[in-house]
Amino acid sequence: MIPNYLKNKRILLVDDEPELRDMVTSILSEEGFLNLRAAGSVRDAVCAAREFHPELAVLDVMLPDGDGFSLMEQLKNISDYPILFLTARGEDEDKFMGFGLGADDYLVKPFLPKELVFRIAAILRRTYKDENPLVQLKHCEIDFERAEVLRRNQSGAGQCERFPLTAKEYAILLALCRNAGRIVTIDALCEAAWGDNPYGYENSLMAHIRRIREKIEAYPSKPESLITVKGLGYKLIVQTI
Amino acid sequence: MKSIPKLIRRFLAILMLSIILLFFLNIAVLIALNLQRTPGASPWTTAAETGAALQKEDGGSGYFLPEDAALSLARENAWGILIDNHTRQVVWHTDNMPDEIPLEYSLADIASLTRGYLMDYPAFPGESEDGLVVLGYPKDRYWKHLYPCWDYDFIANLPKYALNVLLVNGGLIFLIYFAANFKLLRSVKPIAEGIQKLPTKEPVFVKEKGLLSELAANINQTSRILESQNYQLRKKDGARANWIAGVSHDIRTPLSMVMGYAGQLEDNPRLTEDERRKVTVILRQSTRMRNLINDLNLASKLEYEMQPIHKAQENAVAIARQAAVDFINMDVDGKHPIEWNTEPEFAVCPVCADKDLLKRAVSNLIQNSISHNAGGCSIYVSVTETGREDTPPPTDSPADTERMGSPHNCVIRVEDDGSGMSPEELQRLNDTPHYMMCDGSTKEQRHGLGLLIVRQVAASHGGSMAIRQSIYGGLCVDILLPVYYG
Repeated sequence: MIPNYLKNKRILLVDDEPELRDMVTSILSEEGFLNLRAAGSVRDAVCAAREFHPELAVLDVMLPDGDGFSLMEQLKNISDYPILFLTARGEDEDKFMGFGLGADDYLVKPFLPKELVFRIAAILRRTYKDENPLVQLKHCEIDFERAEVLRRNQSGAGQCERFPLTAKEYAILLALCRNAGRIVTIDALCEAAWGDNPYGYENSLMAHIRRIREKIEAYPSKPESLITVKGLGYKLIVQTI
Repeated sequence: MKSIPKLIRRFLAILMLSIILLFFLNIAVLIALNLQRTPGASPWTTAAETGAALQKEDGGSGYFLPEDAALSLARENAWGILIDNHTRQVVWHTDNMPDEIPLEYSLADIASLTRGYLMDYPAFPGESEDGLVVLGYPKDRYWKHLYPCWDYDFIANLPKYALNVLLVNGGLIFLIYFAANFKLLRSVKPIAEGIQKLPTKEPVFVKEKGLLSELAANINQTSRILESQNYQLRKKDGARANWIAGVSHDIRTPLSMVMGYAGQLEDNPRLTEDERRKVTVILRQSTRMRNLINDLNLASKLEYEMQPIHKAQENAVAIARQAAVDFINMDVDGKHPIEWNTEPEFAVCPVCADKDLLKRAVSNLIQNSISHNAGGCSIYVSVTETGREDTPPPTDSPADTERMGSPHNCVIRVEDDGSGMSPEELQRLNDTPHYMMCDGSTKEQRHGLGLLIVRQVAASHGGSMAIRQSIYGGLCVDILLPVYYG
């Protein structure tokens, strides 16, 4: 599920519990992440950050020599990369504080290994999407950087046809792609395309979906990549490379 | 503070009423006294009667008084004279006439005695056939007003004057009453206000000054006691919620390890079928523990009102849809298919709600159906609005309509075709309090926290929860929320 270019990202884990550190390391390495570094305190974490140059950090909030929130600021001062908090503090205020300070995600312990992996993959995909802007669908590729759909010519001569995406189509496809393989509700898609108060756009959404299908599907009336889940939403099936 | 003016009004009314009553009572007493003091007729009448009764002696020039008239004069100790019309001399007199009474009168003398006294004897003239009868009473018998005369205007306007006097008197009495009681009223007012504020649980302070300082001190003391009791209660509730939060925090890290490794082992291809089954049980049970911790924490915070609720206008359809989709996205084994039963045209149902809490409540209901039907079941999620013209209210019995409350309710319904509950179990679930809210024995009330949280969330949004048998055979739970229009 996770593309290889993401598996090479350097990930820093900071948690004062050695056993938990080991566990997270083992979960991530089993999932194919290769560059992992663990630290048990703020001091170690800052040292590791300087020499390891992480591209994502997973932080605990409570550390023996400080708290994760201030550690995040220190890390961001060194270099800017996404931060995921992994903490036993599940209060809303803690979450808001974390997000307010610029955290990218917040996962409360205890968690299932898959949850952690999905979230890390999602953050990495979001942050480093430019490095692999092509999303592979069954009948085409989506180039988010250029907002285009690339389709192999029906004649099979190796040439590509390009279909530009409108702003709304782009926003809808991006929301679907970030949750590839999962249902995205009608409401979430409307919000992605029309912003905060997305009431009454259901019919427009259907029209946009129809147009997207014309661009990405071989047979728009029998969609294979952009699936309707009746009443609930839509799902984008992405081919793994 | 409405009772104080009422009190004043009532007191004044009583005051006025008693004054009027007193006035009439006094007049009555005066009349009674007068009647008692003067048993005989008035002296004017007696004089007129005597004048009429006086007769000429047959043939002679003298006069005589019949016996009964003479008797009534004697009874009063009065004397009488007759002044002749022409000679203005006394032509007849009773035997008891004092010596100093003159026997001849000028016109001025007659005018003077008519108005007042004759030689200091109160005199009353009466007309007779040939002259003027004058009765004299003992000096201390009557007091005569010498100049009885009033302006005509005064007499003509007497009713008006009387009314004005009454009004002025009333006003004066009110002023006197107010002046006398102003201080008292002023000191009662803050005390009344203080007493009224006591039940609002706000701290009350009344200045301990003036007539009623003792009462004020008592009120202040009561307020202090109430405040400290409230504080203790809040502290205790807070401590309880914090204790639960602390315990759940401490359990999270160790449980992470259990769940983490179990989750990893589950995917290990080298495990035997039997081992994998055991790992699955560990994983499932530790997930249950995690949910329990989260639920316990949230339930205690909702119960002790420590959960911050961030309300905004939200779309209940979107929230329910997201909750359903989250489960569909997670349901790996496909044993619990979720069917979205909402009308496709019904896209927006505005409610004023905390999005996360409401989603949590819907998720709890779905999770509840899953947990109680481990063998698998279909789950049906729907959102409707009662009281809309195009959708008949989704009620099965008259009792439901009652529970629906106002016609405009948003109904989020989660039901399943699983094992459900017997009517007795339903009854118990609806009636018995949860052990968290019950101070009695906790043996019998072991239903999950999931439904309690749903109930609490609904209550904190001004709504309610209703449980019944589903038409699909399993359980049906409704979250009812008032529809919110901006």
